[in-house]
Amino acid sequence: MRGYLLRRLPSAVLVLLVASFLIFTILRLVPGDPATTLAGPDADAATVAAIRDRLGLDAPLLTQYVHWIGSLVTGDLGPSYAIGGQTADLIRDGLGATLELTLAALLFVILLGAAFGVLGATSRSRWIRSAVRVTTTASLAVPPFISGVLFVLLFAVVLGVLPPGGRVAFLTAPDLAVQYLLMPALCLALPSAAVLGRYLKDGIENALAEEYIRTATAAGVAPRRLLWRHAVPNALPPVVTLLGMQTGHLLGGAVLVEAIFAWPGLGRLAEQGLVSRDYPVVQDLLLLLVAVFVLVQLVTDLVYAWLDPRIRWE
Amino acid sequence: MTELYPSMPTGPSRRSTLRAAGGGTLLLGLGLAGCRSAVSEASSDPSGAGAEPKRGGTLTVAVNADFTPGLLYSQSQQSSQHRLIFNTLTRYDDQLRPKPELAISWTYADDGRALTLRLRDDVTFHNGRKFTADDVVFAVKNLQKPVRAAQLRSTAAAVTGFEKRGDHELVLKLAHPVNNLFDLFEFMIITDPESAEDAVTGRKLIGTGPFVLKKWSPGSGLSLRRNENYWQPGRPYLDGVELRVIPQADALISSLRSGQSQLSFNVPGKNLGAIKSDERLSVTDYDTGAGAVYLGVNTTVTPLDDKTVRHALAWAVDRERLLAQTLGGHGLASAAPWPTSSPAFTEAHRTHYSHDPGKARELLRSAGHTKLAFPLLHLALPGETAIAESLQYDLEQVGVHVTLQPTDPATAQKKLISQGMPALWTLGHGFAQVQPSTLAVSAYPFNEAKNTSRYRSDEYTDVVREAWTEPESTAAAANALHERISRILLDEAFIIDLVVRGQVQVSAAGLHGVTLNKFSYLNLDDAYLV
Repeated sequence: MRGYLLRRLPSAVLVLLVASFLIFTILRLVPGDPATTLAGPDADAATVAAIRDRLGLDAPLLTQYVHWIGSLVTGDLGPSYAIGGQTADLIRDGLGATLELTLAALLFVILLGAAFGVLGATSRSRWIRSAVRVTTTASLAVPPFISGVLFVLLFAVVLGVLPPGGRVAFLTAPDLAVQYLLMPALCLALPSAAVLGRYLKDGIENALAEEYIRTATAAGVAPRRLLWRHAVPNALPPVVTLLGMQTGHLLGGAVLVEAIFAWPGLGRLAEQGLVSRDYPVVQDLLLLLVAVFVLVQLVTDLVYAWLDPRIRWE
Repeated sequence: MTELYPSMPTGPSRRSTLRAAGGGTLLLGLGLAGCRSAVSEASSDPSGAGAEPKRGGTLTVAVNADFTPGLLYSQSQQSSQHRLIFNTLTRYDDQLRPKPELAISWTYADDGRALTLRLRDDVTFHNGRKFTADDVVFAVKNLQKPVRAAQLRSTAAAVTGFEKRGDHELVLKLAHPVNNLFDLFEFMIITDPESAEDAVTGRKLIGTGPFVLKKWSPGSGLSLRRNENYWQPGRPYLDGVELRVIPQADALISSLRSGQSQLSFNVPGKNLGAIKSDERLSVTDYDTGAGAVYLGVNTTVTPLDDKTVRHALAWAVDRERLLAQTLGGHGLASAAPWPTSSPAFTEAHRTHYSHDPGKARELLRSAGHTKLAFPLLHLALPGETAIAESLQYDLEQVGVHVTLQPTDPATAQKKLISQGMPALWTLGHGFAQVQPSTLAVSAYPFNEAKNTSRYRSDEYTDVVREAWTEPESTAAAANALHERISRILLDEAFIIDLVVRGQVQVSAAGLHGVTLNKFSYLNLDDAYLV
């Protein structure tokens, strides 16, 4: 395994290097620069030049690139140009908020998906099955930016029971944090929960139709035991794979939901950084995303290699 | 063929479902009964009601952009915190008369080349240090640095000498007389010199203002608490202020309607109709004229170098429709840049151009054109795109085909400063709300020496310099200069003003005593919640 890991590492580092170069170059090709943004609409040339000089934007591009990579290697990401504060702090805070939202949504996906799946597959009531079908179809069809607005209107404006937006960090005040989290997390989770529920429902139905269930039933095994000990576990493996894929969707979708619910996560940070051409923030953020994907790919490959030794020797 | 086994497990039974639901409700009830409500926590009004000023309560202000420390010394998209944490030397009243703040009184030298300021001696910074004349010297010198990007740098740069007469009297010596020194005082926040570098990175914001910075969370906003040692006795009434960043308009409106925030200046004009019908909220217009919508013309592009063609564009635009349809009626349709509170405002200038497509076509014909085509740059934001589309429609009616160029704000800014705009563009400008001369020396689109339109004329330069450096002019003399500036702007039409916009405040019915200064710095000295 160690040998396999060592063989995979150089390609991962190469991917990161190429990505960093592309991110750096493409960002410089976008018109507009931080100096003019910071200078404001009424600035004169001297002001723009002074700011450009302060930010080090006068240096050759290659020097700027090497300086950036050097700062990454030393772990000092430096200050943000426009937003203010240290880039590392900004990313850390945003990452915390986005992860919190994604994890809460994942919890909803699992709970709702399980409820949709089990009720849809096993309920004897036609009404319940229809209700589950309609709910999952609606959850899939209505995008988060619509359901978000509807939720806010109902729960925050009309009923006034939940805050319409903002965030209290979970570790600061868990009781308040949960209330701020409920709507954005639910909104983010609904489409994925519907997908998961449908897979689970099909899985359970197929499992229940298997011959061994018939035999077990004939042998007098209780229906509840049949469902939870045999049918559900057999339906789970493909659902777990799907859950992994949906987690990626959740991370991506969080950007949109963050805007609706004024959630200060990475999506908001990226937007803010791009609008003001805050190079350090955007560069580091994009490279972080690439690094996450590279890491996930690496871990997946390692798990596969662990499961299937043949891969290690290919 | 497979089919579901007839005696398949039935899932949760009715009894177990009811049991689970009951248990769940109990748990939820117990849990929520024991914890605070985020909704009531956020709307922390002081108890009781009444019209008298009341102490206490935290005011939440919804803002659509975060505080940008790098722009602390310039006017930016979000300057609400400036007058909360800091003070200014003076503040204008509604008639542009300076009133005391950290400066108690002032005297001009006869030749207009010096101003003596007497300063308050009972003011301390949030870190406990006494405020003295040295802090004013620092503030002026600080704004003279190009790196601070202060829009009033040219006025600050006119101060070339300082003479301290004790700790609380200071003479500012001027290279030449300037008549917009009090614009600088309205604009220039007094910051603690020792923490100035930490201030531009957002680490420390230390002023003498009514509120002290508790925390700035980038992306979330600023949290402020009352300054217990504020120099104004008994003020502020509020315990604290939260400036909460809510960039999305729908979310911002929901926040106001649900009582989560009690004040905002960022509700888009088209949404104000819905707000007005909500009796828990009130809408107030400020005639600060802090922003204006205009159509910019690149005077080096043929045939826009011909004044007649520019006049045709100015007659072609339906300002009233633009105001009603895209700005919700909040503003003043005007061909000149001045708000009604400006000494340069006249009704004749405001209506100098009105909607007359026939006249526009006639002017184009007289200049030898029946069909023209130009690109029009605009910001790729919903409200700005609507303005551009409205202009496109009006110009199309007189035979001027316009191709829209949606552009992101950073790129538009670069083109504005580098004179890289296409034939036409539409953006907003400020600086008409204070002394008229400030517009031409501080707002880039109007700058006499270098502007985006690439317009230059000796007459314009002369009149702008004269208006700026005329210190002791009588009202009649000043009016004559303003009249000449307005006449040139209207006649040359290199910037075609469309609508003068003030600030529109949406606030909870129980909030009183909120004011803004001419640069939209929020003043909550006398604000209270009932």
